[in-house]
Formats: sequence, C-alpha cells, structure tokens
Amino acid sequence: MNNNKKKQIIKAIKSNLGGYLFLAPWLIGFLVFTGIPFLYTFYLSFTNVNQTALGWQIKWNNFENYIDIFFKNTQFLPSLLEFIIMQVLYVPVILVISFILAVLLNQDIKGRAILRTIFFLPVIILSGSVMQQFISSGAANFASINSIFIFHIVSNYSRFFAQIIEVLFVNFTIVLWFTGIPIILFINALQKIDHQLYEATQIDGASWWQILWKITIPMVKSTALVVTIYTIVNLGLYNIRPRQSNITAIYDLIKNALGVTSNGLGYASAYAVLYTIVVFILVGFALLVLRNRDKVKVVESLQERQQKKLAWIQKRNKKKLMKGVNKND
Amino acid sequence: MIKVEKLTNYVKKINYQHLRKKIFGNVTTDGLVFKIFVYLLLIGISYVFVYPFIRMILLSFMSQKDVLDNEVYWIPSKFTLESLRRACEVLGLPRNFKEWFNFKKVFKSSLMNSIKISTLYGLIQTLVAALTGFAFARFKFKLKNFWFAMVIFSFIVPLPVVMVPRIMMFETIQMKVKVLGTIYPQLFLTLFGQGVNNAILILIFYNFFKMIPHSLDEAARIDGANSLQVFWHIFIRMSLSIIVTVFLFAFVWNWNESYMTSTFLRYKIPLLPMNLSIFDSTFSNLYGGSNSAEQIRINESYKMAGTLITMLPLIILYIFAQRQFIEGIERTGITGE
Repeated sequence: MNNNKKKQIIKAIKSNLGGYLFLAPWLIGFLVFTGIPFLYTFYLSFTNVNQTALGWQIKWNNFENYIDIFFKNTQFLPSLLEFIIMQVLYVPVILVISFILAVLLNQDIKGRAILRTIFFLPVIILSGSVMQQFISSGAANFASINSIFIFHIVSNYSRFFAQIIEVLFVNFTIVLWFTGIPIILFINALQKIDHQLYEATQIDGASWWQILWKITIPMVKSTALVVTIYTIVNLGLYNIRPRQSNITAIYDLIKNALGVTSNGLGYASAYAVLYTIVVFILVGFALLVLRNRDKVKVVESLQERQQKKLAWIQKRNKKKLMKGVNKND
Repeated sequence: MIKVEKLTNYVKKINYQHLRKKIFGNVTTDGLVFKIFVYLLLIGISYVFVYPFIRMILLSFMSQKDVLDNEVYWIPSKFTLESLRRACEVLGLPRNFKEWFNFKKVFKSSLMNSIKISTLYGLIQTLVAALTGFAFARFKFKLKNFWFAMVIFSFIVPLPVVMVPRIMMFETIQMKVKVLGTIYPQLFLTLFGQGVNNAILILIFYNFFKMIPHSLDEAARIDGANSLQVFWHIFIRMSLSIIVTVFLFAFVWNWNESYMTSTFLRYKIPLLPMNLSIFDSTFSNLYGGSNSAEQIRINESYKMAGTLITMLPLIILYIFAQRQFIEGIERTGITGE
C-alpha cells in the first residue's frame, strides 16, 4: 500500500517535470514577452517614459496620460470610435454571411471544392500591405453605392441608415475576405451534427426553416463564438477604414506614438490599454451573447418525489424518536 | 383548329403535380428553384470575392494607354509586361529575364530574403508549437488548465499592448549589442513561442496529438523510452502531414506579418511585403512623382502589379497545397469543444 502510494507520487512528479520541460520554451516566452509585458503596460500607462543615455527613465504621473487622451488629444477618441463602429458593424455581418455560405456549401452542390478554394484564398494572401494597396488603389471598391437607386431612397428617408449601408458596402469585398476561416469552421461544425437528428425532425414534419432555427443554429453556437472571437481579433489587425475619412486607424496611431521621443511610450501604453479594454469588452460581449445557456431542469417523476417525501418523513420521525428517548433519560 | 386541339390535349396531359414537385421540390431544399437560387448566390458572392484579384491581374498587364482609356476596363487591348517590370524594380527584384537567371543577384533580392526568413521562422514556430502541444496533450501537471487558458489569452490579447515593454527590452539590449534592425528580436520571439498566431498552431498540434492512442506511447515507455524519445519517434513520425500543414501556415503568416517586422526589422533587410508597403515612396524616389490625375491612375496599375508580384509566391504555394491549408483549419478542433 505504502509502496503503491510512493510510486504514484513519483509518477506525478515525473509527469509534472516532463510537462513543464516540454512546455518550457513557450512558458518562458509567454512570461517574458507576453504575460509580464501585458501587466507592465498597465503600469507604464500611468507614467512618463523617457529614454536617456543611461536607460529608461520612468516617472509616475498619476492619470495625466489618460486626462490628456480624453480631454486634450483630438486624435484618439475618434479613431477608437471608428474602431468600435467597424467591429460592431462588420463582425455580425461576417458571422452571418459565413454561416449562410457554410450552410449552402454543405449541401450537395457541384463545384464545391472550387468554391471553397476561392473563399479560402484571401486567408493565404492577405497581409497588411496588400490590403493597403487594394484599398488605396480602389480596386476593392466593388460598386459605388451612390449610383444605386435604392440607396438614394434610404438616404432621403434617414441619413443614419444610409451611413450604415455606406459603411457596409464601401468595403464589402474586404468584409467578405474575412469569412475564409469562419466558413471552414462552420462547415466543419455542420458536418459534425448527427444526421439522425435531421431525420427525426423531418419525420415529425418540420420544415427546412424550422430545422435551421431549432437544430442547426443551436448546434453551431459554440463555433459561432469561436468565429466571433477570431473575427474580432483578426479585424483589429488590419487597417480598414469603415468611412472614407482622414481619421488615423488606431493601430497606426499607437504605432506612431511609439516613435515619439518625449513620453511617446507612456502615451502609447495608455492608448494600448484603452484599446485592449475595448477589445476585451467586445470579446466579453460576444461571450455573453453566444454562451451556451443550459436550461435543462431536472424534472422529477412522481415516484421520485414520493420517495423523497417518504425519506423526509422517516428522517423526521427518527428525530422525534431520538428526542423522546432523550427526554426519557 | 386541329392544331389548337392537339395543343390543349398536350397541355392537359402534363402532370402538373410532377412538374410542381420538380420545380419546388418535396422539401424546399431539393426543388429546382432553390437550387438555382443557391447557385446564383454562390456565384455572385464568389465574383465579389475574386473581383479585385481579377482586376489586379488584368491591370498589371495593361499598357499605359489602356489604363488611361476609359473604354478599356477588363481586357487589355495589348498585353505588356511594362508595369510588372517597373514594379519589379521598385520591389527590389531583377528586371529582365536575363537577370532572373543571374542566381547571385536573385539570391540577394527581397524575394529570397522573404523566403529565407519566413522559412526560418516557420520551422522554429512549428517545432515549438509541437513541443507545447505535446506537453498539453500527454502530461498532467499543475496549473495545466491555467496555462492552456493563457495560450488562448495570448491569441486574444492585442499586439500593441505588449509591444511597448518588448520595445523597451530590445532597446535596452541595443545599448550593448546591436539587435534592432536585425532578425534577432523576432527570432527570439518565435523561438520562445510568441510568433504570429502561435496559439492556433499549438491548438492544431494539441488536437492531433490527443487523437494518437495512449497505448502506443505506453508500449514505448515499457520498452524503456523516455519522453523525448516518445515525442520524437512516435509523435513526430506519426504526424508528418500535420507538421507540413502547420509549417505552411507558419510560413504564410510570417510572410504576411508586418506589424512586428516593421518595428523590429525597421526595413533594414528588404522583404517583399515590406517593400510593397513603402511602394509609393520608393517609386517617387526612383521615377520622381507628379501628381497629375493621369499619373495617379498609371501609378495605380504599377501598384497593382507590385501587389500581384508580392502575392505570387503565396498563390503558387496555395495552388499546390490548398488541401493542407483547409484541412489544417478543420483540424484545429476548436469547433467541437
């Protein structure tokens, strides 16, 4: 018995040692280059960082950086707003379009392989600089929205909706390019759904529409969450301007701040912290909306309830009996 | 008269129910109308997908005259290599066919630099991701779940927020040894598993290694193999296809990476995508810039040619390895769990 325990402990130690040994490169890298810097940036955002000949001079300056950003700086808030508008508008669109395309591609369709290849192509070839060239040369401008008649009707009706439509359609091609990986993930999730489920509902007389809403969508919800988070992260990496304005993209703004000599890094970290908080809020919102709400309540059968009641009565009787015994003493 | 009767007879003979079934289907999904709708939708969307690429390819083969001609939009009246040649020069590539066979020159060009650096980073990333994936798939250790959550965290956390300390770190080293403007900062990052999208690569390996049966490595351990031998002789040998996939992804992502490269490498070593991002300034240095409307349109065709050249290696890679790419994403397994 004792020997066995010893063996188990030795095994556990070995497993721990082996695990951390293989994990070591990543773990060191994570701590040194990501984990600690992440926390350190929060600290830096409250300081004045200057580079001197001797090294870095870091001075605590309370909330000065943030006060500057919110009340003096005219650049940051507009570009942060632009970023949020882009995320809020584009992420749902990407999610819905990629889901629809995945459902369509999951059917028995000729030329599926070619279509899948086309939809995945942007994932391979898109980079920041390529995107920049496409946007600046206007090759991605699929159709000028202003020439479409319906747009004018909407525009006359409400300026706000017109703006939203404009934002969506100006970069419609580019928005579509972000669906590459989501489509593959959705197709994969769709194929994992048990066929018997569909058959059972079809026998019960459910229509195609009902099956979509009652079975397919709940089943791919966890994938939708992954896709949403992936899209939020991925959209942030590219410098897409939802409106054709001269607001600097937030990524560039932070990058430009890095190059400023007097307290550039302090500002940059304050920018980055605010940006990160926004990203985390977006991810948290996605988690909130798309989480699995398990509403499975255990419904007790009558028998079970009776048994419970019986057990309860027996327990009470026993207690009474015990009390009686005590009194008699 | 007889003809009309014949016709009405014929119309009466048509089995309407059968026809309706064929057009609208038993269930909505197998009717002809639905099929046509699906095909139209898919073709329409794929047209929007590839429209900029087609435009790019055709623009880069157009002559200057065609670019300025409003009547020529799609098919150039004469195919020329002029824009491609100019773009090659701006991107730091050999101009003529002759120079392309001058291997010494090609070997020093931005194309070869990009290939070399992406391959190096890709290989290292693959190795580190495999090690990490193995640790998560086969060992039980304390805080395992926490570190696994941290892998995902490192994917979500935006780069700028970790960039400031990283820059300070390398600037401090810079005072003693010159590291900025060389490949070493990024080499360190990839070596320690903080390269581009490293979390996804780890997930691919983790899910693949989890599928390998436990009995295999137990048998090897009974025969006296240690963990490293198990990793090398069983796991690596069994997952060669997934290694290729992961390497391809790492290669492509490193090729396309621009944020870290521009901060750490600082354009000191010419790379193809980096050269593309400073295309405008290089171009005006070489040829002088004029801002007339015509010149801007011609410059656009040069830019598109440059973009095409930058993409070309990746497109070739994709043509040969598209299956690996798509399966790689399917195998991340993040969909099921």
